[in-house]
Amino acid sequence: MTVTAASIVTAGGADGRADGSERPDAVVALGNVTKTYGSTVANDSVTLAIGRGEVIGLVGANGAGKSTAMRILCGATMPDSGSVLFEGRELDPGRYGPAEAHRLGIRIVYQELSLCPNLTVAENFYLEQPQHARPSPLWLAEYRRLARESLSSIFGDTGIDVAARVGSLPISQRQMIEIARAASSPGLKLLILDEPTSSLDAGRAAALHRFVRLQAAAGLSVIFISHKLKEVLEVADRVVVMRNGRVVWEDHAERTSVPALVEAMGGTRTAEAAGARARPPVPADAPVMVTLDGDLTSVLGRPVELRAGKIVGLAGLEGSGQKQLLHALFKASAGAGDVQRTGRVSFVSGDRQREGVFPLWSVLDNIAIGRTARRMPTAMVDRNADRDAVARWSGPLALDPERFESGILDLSGGNQQKALMARALISGADVVLLDDPTRGVDIGAKRDFYGLLREIAAERKLAVWYSTEDAEFLECDRVLVFRDGRIVAELEGDAISEDAIVAASFTAGEAGAGPERARSPGQASAAGRIFAAVPFVGLLIVFGIMAAMNPLVASAFGIELLLAPAVVLVLVALAQMFVIGGSEIDLGVGAFAGLVNVISATLLVSHPGFGALALAGGLLGYALMAVLIQARAIPAIVMTLGASFIWAGIGQTIQPSPGGSSPEWLPALFQWSVAGVPTPLLLILAAGALAVAIDRAPVGVVLRGFGSNPQALARNGWSPLRYAVVRYLIAGAFAATAGLYLTATNQASDINAGASFTLLSIAAVVIGGSQLLGGVIAPAGVVAGAVTLSLIGALLAFLGVGTDYNALVQGGLLVAILGLRTVVGWRRTDDRPA
Amino acid sequence: MIARLEHFAATHRWIWAALGVLLLWAALVIVTERFSLHSLTGVATSAAFLLIVALGQMLVVTTGRGNIDLSIPSVVTLSAYVTVIVSGGQDAALPLTLLCLVGIGCVTGLVNAFLVVVLRIPAIIATLASGYALATATLIANRQVKGMATADTLAALATGRLGGIPVIVLIGVAAAALTAFVLTRTAYGRQLSAVGQSLPAAWLSGVRVGTTVTIAFVASALLASVAGMLLSAYAGGAFLEMGSPYLLQSVGAVVLGGSLIAGGASTAVGTIFGALLLVLVITTMQIAGMPPGTQDIVQGLVIIAVMAFAGEARGRATPKEFRSGAGRNAP
Repeated sequence: MTVTAASIVTAGGADGRADGSERPDAVVALGNVTKTYGSTVANDSVTLAIGRGEVIGLVGANGAGKSTAMRILCGATMPDSGSVLFEGRELDPGRYGPAEAHRLGIRIVYQELSLCPNLTVAENFYLEQPQHARPSPLWLAEYRRLARESLSSIFGDTGIDVAARVGSLPISQRQMIEIARAASSPGLKLLILDEPTSSLDAGRAAALHRFVRLQAAAGLSVIFISHKLKEVLEVADRVVVMRNGRVVWEDHAERTSVPALVEAMGGTRTAEAAGARARPPVPADAPVMVTLDGDLTSVLGRPVELRAGKIVGLAGLEGSGQKQLLHALFKASAGAGDVQRTGRVSFVSGDRQREGVFPLWSVLDNIAIGRTARRMPTAMVDRNADRDAVARWSGPLALDPERFESGILDLSGGNQQKALMARALISGADVVLLDDPTRGVDIGAKRDFYGLLREIAAERKLAVWYSTEDAEFLECDRVLVFRDGRIVAELEGDAISEDAIVAASFTAGEAGAGPERARSPGQASAAGRIFAAVPFVGLLIVFGIMAAMNPLVASAFGIELLLAPAVVLVLVALAQMFVIGGSEIDLGVGAFAGLVNVISATLLVSHPGFGALALAGGLLGYALMAVLIQARAIPAIVMTLGASFIWAGIGQTIQPSPGGSSPEWLPALFQWSVAGVPTPLLLILAAGALAVAIDRAPVGVVLRGFGSNPQALARNGWSPLRYAVVRYLIAGAFAATAGLYLTATNQASDINAGASFTLLSIAAVVIGGSQLLGGVIAPAGVVAGAVTLSLIGALLAFLGVGTDYNALVQGGLLVAILGLRTVVGWRRTDDRPA
Repeated sequence: MIARLEHFAATHRWIWAALGVLLLWAALVIVTERFSLHSLTGVATSAAFLLIVALGQMLVVTTGRGNIDLSIPSVVTLSAYVTVIVSGGQDAALPLTLLCLVGIGCVTGLVNAFLVVVLRIPAIIATLASGYALATATLIANRQVKGMATADTLAALATGRLGGIPVIVLIGVAAAALTAFVLTRTAYGRQLSAVGQSLPAAWLSGVRVGTTVTIAFVASALLASVAGMLLSAYAGGAFLEMGSPYLLQSVGAVVLGGSLIAGGASTAVGTIFGALLLVLVITTMQIAGMPPGTQDIVQGLVIIAVMAFAGEARGRATPKEFRSGAGRNAP
């Protein structure tokens, strides 16, 4: 480097623009913002101002602090110190959150997509701009129009079906939707685009650039974050470079160049890499640890053998099959298949939070599990031996032994990663698999890490290393370049260079459909359609068998008799459906129906006013459960299990043994009839129609959104607490109706009457085609599933099977359907944010 | 000093349950005056049955991801019936009885584990369904019962005393000691905690995740099965709904004892105190002459209150950024 960071800042300052907080026309500004995570300073007095109609290009290496600064800017993260200014006014840090940012017109398009995959494109637009919704059954049409227009105004003709579920669309289309959704918000003042073109082809990216320039001319401020430096220079007015949590450089885009930016970001490490290759050569007869063959190497036309003592890089565009190979190698064995491996293996993931650390453990325990993981369960653990074994690695890892007893999460990302590396080494593995291990790690830790890799190789181990940073491959002896799931090129020794890797990733082999080959959306939806039909087909079959055995079943009277018991289950199942739609399960729903049954058959008869109050109190109890689940992070299972005892206990106290009677007016509510159609059938259809209406209404869309991507909704300013309460109130109302129906038809009550409905309701919801992970519910299917389950009891009686077997058959059916779904592979294929 | 106490309480979360036991017992002694050592053995006996069941529940809860074994009550009831039917009150038939009970425990545990591990059905639904299947078996068994008689050996185990201490209490304490040993001293304890904290991380560290989870479910079913056998000997027979109280109470003893409901961290000592505290609460209510309905309500409230309290404790134990996933891009 010829110029130091400090002198560059001064150079920028000479321009009179570096201290951005002084800008009079700034829309939004950060003033001396500092934020630390543990011992890592993510933002170190960052000052940044964005003028009206200005496009700022923000660049920096991974972990430079860009994402933290942007999260602070849009209220998702609270800074330790410093201020956020909006139109010159300092915002109250205590009150400034995502919702407030939203209101002020600040939008961010995140790197990780924040759409709800289970909702349609139009429904996702609703979540962003709820103000256009009209109280009409056709309210969504407005959003379909909005989505189409927004998309075409930026990208031209995209061919995106706005009525399709987002999860079924390819990632490039999802990225376009994400951008269009944020850019179309009314009152938009600042648009932050974080790697907006990472999945777009050149044509779409160019369209986005034009759109950004056009909007900026009309007064919109834009922050454009990208690793594609040429793109940044094209689109931005001003370029800001961050490094190690600081703003180190800024200048007009037209006065700068890509090499200047690269140098400001941290330079290249060519010199170091040369040092890496100066290692003593590996003997040619080193044992072969890994053999790759078959489709994987079909482009190369020969198998690939990887020998001990080498560092082998897996390069190529993200998602070209590098991770798949690492996981295949982890599972592989010797002597079988296209991917073969000998020796012991260990895996180091760069996704520390999800796949790396054990958050409850100390650093020592996190490392020592490498020794314990593969042992027999009955083997003894010796902490002193663990400590000694770990201590041996503290030197090469540059990990202070005094920190071994502190919690793993107290360490910086880089040190956590070193601990994970130590875990892999302590296991005595011969093959070390590395999945982008330096992601978000600072430069110092990276250097330690490269040194460690060389030591691993020196100990005659094989390191297979996938990285998203092409410069890191300069540390490797050998690089395999991937494209579309195959190895398309192999580089060795001096042939390894960033240019060669980039050239091979983009041009070697033929251009294919991109990395999205795992599963075609059509396939998934075909399986989905089959499972969606299960409850209806099942209902037809069960009903058909019964009608064939006794023709009276198909008469109006027969239907009335058969369906009457089904009404309760339909109502309880619909209640359960709304809870399951939020990724939760209500274990007390049956008991609650029983309690309402008791209250309405006793208190409501003797003291109507007090009874009504008690029923309202029950609903309030449901709302309170939602509040507690949200506010105290209580698992819904435990909450509702505890509540089930409360409901049952109250019922037992009011009425210790079955009895009571129905209020005179209650049966009239459930016993009307239209034109000879059996009443239970009408009731079931009405309940189903109501559930469908709620689900299709705006509130239903929000509830489904919370079921799949609560963080995204919270960022959009939706209140998780309010909608949890709404969800539980809806569920409580359906369950309460079931209890009232029990009273009306039985003319009596029994607190235990509802208990058996809990499992049945879950079974009905699952059979009906809802997904247990939440966000996907199917009211019509649930109704059909509930009726089917209810009829199965009658069918078993028809077939002469004792009622003892009801539970067995119903439970078996539930497990069979869930198991089948797993086997067929119909589960959510979309990526849920962890 | 206070900081050290706080640290101790944070790392030994069972301390709260132990304190609760002491306070409640002291209150009972003062208020009733007649609450003697004798009544304490009664409490300890009830707690021992709960403890055996709760230790199994604790292992399943430790596997994480909200796993709970809801089939426990059905296993307890069915095992009680099988004990009555197969043993017929004869010591000679005990080996066969034991074999049947081990069979029930292993089959239930393996089926639950198969549904959870292989078919990837959420544990709560898998065990709910298997519990219903067992309920069917229990209904059938109920028709086979010809007479209620208890084998002498079983009666000695369930109601006998050794040096003034009920044998069942010794069994419970022994089971807890064994579980504590497994959790803290063996590789399995480490593997189980790893799986409970982060399943992907455990898998990539080389832990045999499926085996680890399977062992927990089988242990839970086996312990419930043993509890059912002893319970039938204690009660002098078997009846439907016999195991029902153990659904909420087993979960309650685990969370009261300070094990994390989210998995990954559990304490057998805590579960001892959790079981004791819960039984003491119930005993207190019985002494106070509360009707069964009120007792249910109080139990439900206690569990929810403890969870509300522990929810915050969990929040302090793990940084918010980690829990919410908001810090994914944080360096």
